[in-house]
Amino acid sequence: MCGIAGIYAYHYAANPVEHAELRRMRDHMAARGPDGLGEWYSQHERVGLGHRRLTIIDLSERGAQPMASADAKLVITFNGEIYNYRQLRTSLESEGYKFSTQTDAEVLLHLYAEKGQAMVNDLRGMFAFGLWDAEKNALLLARDPYGIKPLYYADDGWTLRFASQVKALLVGGKVCRRQEPAGWVGFCLFGSVPEPFTTYQEIRALPAGSTLWVDRIGTRQPKQYFSIADAYCHAEATRSVGNGEDLQLSAREALLDSVRHHLVADVPVGAFLSGGIHSGALVGLMHDAGQQDIQTVTLAFDEFRGKSEDEALLAAAVAAQYGTRHTTRVVTEQEFREDLPKILEAMDQPTVDGLTSWFVSKAAREIGLKVAISSLGGDELFGGYPSFRDVPFCVRTLAIPGRIPGLGDLARWLQNRLGQRSVNPKAVGLLKYGATYSGAYLLRRGLFMPWELETVLGADTARLGLRRLKPISHIEALLTPRPKTSFGKIAVLESSLYMRNQLLRDTDWASMAHSIQVRVPLVDAKLLSQLAPTMTSSRPRSKRLLENSPRVPLPAQVIERRKTGVATPIRSWLQRGKFVQQSRPAPSLVVEQWGWARRWAFELAELVKG
Amino acid sequence: MARSIRVLALVTDAFGGHGGIAQYNSDFLSALASCEGVREVIVLPRATERLPSTLPHGVRQLGPVQSRAGYSLAALWTARAHRPIDIVFCGHPYMAPLSAGIAKILCAPLWVQVHGVDAWAELSGLYRRSLEAADLITAVSRYTRRRLLEWVGIDPVRVKILPNTVNPQFRPGQKPGYLLERYCAGGKKVLMTVSRLASSERYKGHDRVIRALPRVLSEHPEAVYLIVGDGDDRARLQAITADCGLVEKVCFTGRVVPEELPDHFRLADVLVMPSTGEGFGIVFLEAMATGIHVIGGNQDGSLDPLADGVLGRAVDPDNGEELASAICSALCAAPAKVDLANRFNVREFTEHLHKLVRNLSEN
Repeated sequence: MCGIAGIYAYHYAANPVEHAELRRMRDHMAARGPDGLGEWYSQHERVGLGHRRLTIIDLSERGAQPMASADAKLVITFNGEIYNYRQLRTSLESEGYKFSTQTDAEVLLHLYAEKGQAMVNDLRGMFAFGLWDAEKNALLLARDPYGIKPLYYADDGWTLRFASQVKALLVGGKVCRRQEPAGWVGFCLFGSVPEPFTTYQEIRALPAGSTLWVDRIGTRQPKQYFSIADAYCHAEATRSVGNGEDLQLSAREALLDSVRHHLVADVPVGAFLSGGIHSGALVGLMHDAGQQDIQTVTLAFDEFRGKSEDEALLAAAVAAQYGTRHTTRVVTEQEFREDLPKILEAMDQPTVDGLTSWFVSKAAREIGLKVAISSLGGDELFGGYPSFRDVPFCVRTLAIPGRIPGLGDLARWLQNRLGQRSVNPKAVGLLKYGATYSGAYLLRRGLFMPWELETVLGADTARLGLRRLKPISHIEALLTPRPKTSFGKIAVLESSLYMRNQLLRDTDWASMAHSIQVRVPLVDAKLLSQLAPTMTSSRPRSKRLLENSPRVPLPAQVIERRKTGVATPIRSWLQRGKFVQQSRPAPSLVVEQWGWARRWAFELAELVKG
Repeated sequence: MARSIRVLALVTDAFGGHGGIAQYNSDFLSALASCEGVREVIVLPRATERLPSTLPHGVRQLGPVQSRAGYSLAALWTARAHRPIDIVFCGHPYMAPLSAGIAKILCAPLWVQVHGVDAWAELSGLYRRSLEAADLITAVSRYTRRRLLEWVGIDPVRVKILPNTVNPQFRPGQKPGYLLERYCAGGKKVLMTVSRLASSERYKGHDRVIRALPRVLSEHPEAVYLIVGDGDDRARLQAITADCGLVEKVCFTGRVVPEELPDHFRLADVLVMPSTGEGFGIVFLEAMATGIHVIGGNQDGSLDPLADGVLGRAVDPDNGEELASAICSALCAAPAKVDLANRFNVREFTEHLHKLVRNLSEN
């Protein structure tokens, strides 16, 4: 896990790569890779690649990056882990390729030489890389299927720059800082910036599951090689067969296989443990995979001591069940207040979440971990969110009134007459958006409604941003191809929007700030292909697939506990304090009765834009 | 690639036209016609100043049609008469709706060229949607590209840069004697700006240079400032010159014939144009190609010919002290004696354009 950066001055009029710029970009990401650094420049100085290394596989200097092929025709800077690199290596060796390191980066070099851009289809893992092909005078950028690892690029028409972080691109000093209205509108609608947008006009995220080819003409259209919607459609067409026992058995095998792959490392792999089923089951599967010495870490809060929200006792029970070396880390409001400036500094793009990830990563680092397993993705895979129930219900209920033209606008008119504070804006939005999956999802996950944005962001930003983002079309596009089942549709939306833009991004910046690599066995394309047929066909039973998978069962109190989100008092800490020196008073629509996140989003927008 | 591509080019002016856009279009269409696979380029201009003496092989320029309605009808007629058309080229955003309509009728890809201020400010929805329908937009500079992308919701990968190029007649040489004599510039350091003097283009910054002159003259009393070009803003600039007491030091040459332009650059020691409204600023290239130092603004497309300060000095146009200091440094510097604009040569321009044509045809 690392930080990568690169510059390709592809246009004939462009200046050669400025070494100091590349170093500024690279070294801004020092926390992503504190164990080593490297840089490489092409002979004609049109290309520069940079790397910050967190050593996890092949800890020797031979694994340093950027890494060149033996003939120096290919050079790679790579962030992430390829979990099936040993299998790929064996296969490439049988084709005659020679290896000089034990790294997965070298596997990527040879795999590209063998298969070209199609190499990405063979990879199992989380990755983002830039690979220079000197013979073709071209740069290949690629990102993993789910978008676990970030990759941002800025193309000014002369030069392409890329990095693992938006802020790294900015500190280089050559990327325009003009704001992107679509990024801000997306943030205020969803609570995170939806890819491919960022809050800067010139900077884009390479979409998850895509490659980007840059040659002397410039940046080509990103090519998508993996689609979650496609995976669910395919799963629906190949419904699983077998009785419940068979399905459980094959699910256990698939889950164990994913966990086993995610344990590949030359350093210890620990785990984040909450009081929930997902994280506990993963620790159980780590145990089943043969890992005897497991370090686990749980967050605890004084505010919850002795209350039902306290997960520490449940986590301790799981830890005892599987014999882990367990640490309970207490986070206090004072520590939160002290860390907040650092959190805002590390936050690469505005987001209303990520604070829990910050503290649990911090705790993991304190106990000496470099790699930790997280249960992120479980709710998307197993349908754990209320949206799996609420959104289809909303669509069914509003199918008829939603077709009446003008009814939604009438509701808004009434709200304006009654005053904005009197009616929850989401209730007003029901008639306008509630009859479709994309609209109902926006209501479910949305912070502000589109018509509120003018007040929050200003008229010009709201108008331009809505025009560019086209929120409903943006959501609808992710549902293409369209799964038939409601489970499939919601799973696609939650995985492609909330998980990709919010959970994975937050986990990345918050963990990397502490030089921790977080691995997510439940966010795995192969696992999805194995479990989705079952999930889309027999949902009630399938929710228990994960909890029944560990050979040693989870403690009863964990299984019997009612499903809740991860509980933290951070929301109340945020509500109590005013953290941002606002340049203008909060508008009336940012009132606490409609959610703390609206106010937090407003304050963040003020801070970052200001 | 077989020579099968026929291009319909709808442009404001091209061969026989005057000014930066006409020059760009002429260079562009000449290079386009030389592209392997391009059989014919049919050019329909809105205006021409004079009949072009010769046209490049493969280019057919029709007579100009000035009225808007007449031009639209002529464009439709030309498109119909010359089918099949494989690419519709639109030389100005104001022609984008017409070009987009024709491209749609012909099912041909649309290529739009944008230059400077024409693409910076948001146009109405019709123009915006027409630009968004383009398969390829080429902008002359990074700045113009960025400004366009602020209001046009097109995928940025479809907006490429094809900068101005500079013709071979602009090359280093001695200060020409006939011009030294004409402007009484013998033994003097010559500071020069070349542009139209239009009241609509006051952003060029002649007045900024005039106001910086006293500071320059305090270090270089032998310096003179030649303002090459003419237009309706000349009287205002002359008044400013008089107000500053610089009548002896500022020379308004009036418009010069194109044939004398390279010699004018050779006469100069420094070209200065602290503009805030350049789409690109081809005069910087022409000046650099004749081997003189250039100073431009750092807030517009000028940064491209100046290569962010690598090839020429980029200053804050509104900072008179910085401007004066940059002029003094340039006047002290040794003559460049090389073609600083070499990276913008015609060969590179043509090769890049050919790649864009291939890419557009293949996709």
